[in-house]
Amino acid sequence: MWQKSKPYLLLLPASFTIILLFFGGIFDGLLKSFGYFPAIGETGLNLTAYDRLLHSSDFWQSMALTLRVAALSSLISAIIGAFLAVALFFVNNSTKKAIPRPWQRLFQLPLTIPHLVAGYMVVLLFTQSGFVSRLLATVGWIDGITEFPVLVNDSFGWGIILTYAWKEAPFVALMLYPVLSRIHGSWSDVSRVFGAGPWQFIREVVVPVMMPAWTIATFIVFVFTFSAFEVPYLLGVTYPSVLPVYSYQLYTSGTLSDRPEALAVNMILAAITILLGLVAYYISKRWNVLKGWG
Amino acid sequence: MKKQPRFLSLLLIIGLFIFVLVPFVPLVLSSLSFGWRWPDVFPQGWSLRAWEYVVNDVRTWQAVGISLWIALIVTFVNLLLALPAANALVRYPVRGRWLFEAIIFAPIIIPPFISVMGIHLSFLRFGLTETVLGVVLAHIAPTLPYMFRAIMVSYQTLSVDWEDQARMLGAGAMPRFFHVVLPHLLPGILAGASLSVLISLSQYLITFIIGAGQVVTLPILLFPFISGGDPAIASAYSLLYGAIAIMALVGMDAALKRYYQMSRVPQQEKGVKP
Repeated sequence: MWQKSKPYLLLLPASFTIILLFFGGIFDGLLKSFGYFPAIGETGLNLTAYDRLLHSSDFWQSMALTLRVAALSSLISAIIGAFLAVALFFVNNSTKKAIPRPWQRLFQLPLTIPHLVAGYMVVLLFTQSGFVSRLLATVGWIDGITEFPVLVNDSFGWGIILTYAWKEAPFVALMLYPVLSRIHGSWSDVSRVFGAGPWQFIREVVVPVMMPAWTIATFIVFVFTFSAFEVPYLLGVTYPSVLPVYSYQLYTSGTLSDRPEALAVNMILAAITILLGLVAYYISKRWNVLKGWG
Repeated sequence: MKKQPRFLSLLLIIGLFIFVLVPFVPLVLSSLSFGWRWPDVFPQGWSLRAWEYVVNDVRTWQAVGISLWIALIVTFVNLLLALPAANALVRYPVRGRWLFEAIIFAPIIIPPFISVMGIHLSFLRFGLTETVLGVVLAHIAPTLPYMFRAIMVSYQTLSVDWEDQARMLGAGAMPRFFHVVLPHLLPGILAGASLSVLISLSQYLITFIIGAGQVVTLPILLFPFISGGDPAIASAYSLLYGAIAIMALVGMDAALKRYYQMSRVPQQEKGVKP
């Protein structure tokens, strides 16, 4: 009896903590999104908040912005990340020895920098009077501050996208590099025997090898950027705002009637991320790219 | 033929350097600047004013202390929760394994602020808002999955035979754990702890909701400065915050190396050289 129930007892503390602190909070939010507020005497359940939300243009604008920012961020960091990984792979191969550890550390540096700090670095680089604008003015490409495009606190979300590109590209590269390192040096020799140049080697060998891991990495970045708060809060505009910021604005607007709506936004966000997470899980299972993950 | 790849790889390395390091340049310049008018690439004057402000302000070190304190408690709690759970999932036949994995890994997928906004009023009722304890409780869900995963990976390479051998030699449960299991899991534990500390350090929203501005961690202290405060001070704070995150990681790594040196276990290289 003890032997049989032992693993469940061992699993109990961790599972119980997550259920209580995490799922409990989500359930609490779900009830309140249905208008259940015993503190102010509301004990009935209704769909008013969802109804109001789905009929408001603010919500749909926010949804469109969130999708656009997440899609562009994940795509751009995926492209830069793939480039970084392939570059590291070739540098490693051509020097015939592993890159010294401090260098690898350096390349992981953006991963350790907190998001808010990365966001502020983008502010200093890309505001109209920022570092890039100064450089362009010095070489004579622009003559005034206003000639530099608005890239920070802009309604398109470029500042957010730039921050994520810098932060998440090394993440994508880190996911790809172990896969690339499975390519033996001999494969390159074989391809040369068959008359393939370096570009053909990349197209016919390197790209197919890293494709599954690359798709998953891009997907993970998409899910993360879709639901992250800090960077858009710092670098976005008040209107339209991405869904997490929109929810926070509703939550802190002061009127109690907006709170069910804020929590309804959260529930929609949770549903979308669960869906995306399941898709990522099944793709990765099928391609077997996340060996050792979970 | 031989020269070209060399040249190309040099170019690639330079590209990598620019991508990673150049974004730090304006941050450093700005923190040392004394007046920096457009379109000058370098500040007109230099000054340590911002750094003096940051270093001399009591709130800075209080925030550093409270951030690290919260991160350490969270990591310790995670360790206590993740060790038995990882042990169970890796080494025992568990029915409904997918369910346990789904529960524990869920906070990686579903953003934690959703849960925290929902639980906020309950925390308020139990008097957990504006307290360090409340913030610690809020930080557990986003960090536990990473600790759990790291320890699981370590357990997968630990054979039960080793413990059986120790048992045959007469070692009780405690010595078995501390002399056989723990040394083997240590690299995984430290990897998990690093992630746990790093993620706890970088939480802004959930700390803000639960701490309600009373629990001032580094990101909470930093935010007003970077969203429209004095750029020099904002830059100095940003550099300090980044440096503490990096130091937390490097410190963990150094601790691991020291442990290996002290116990004289030769560090094994991963993989086999071709």
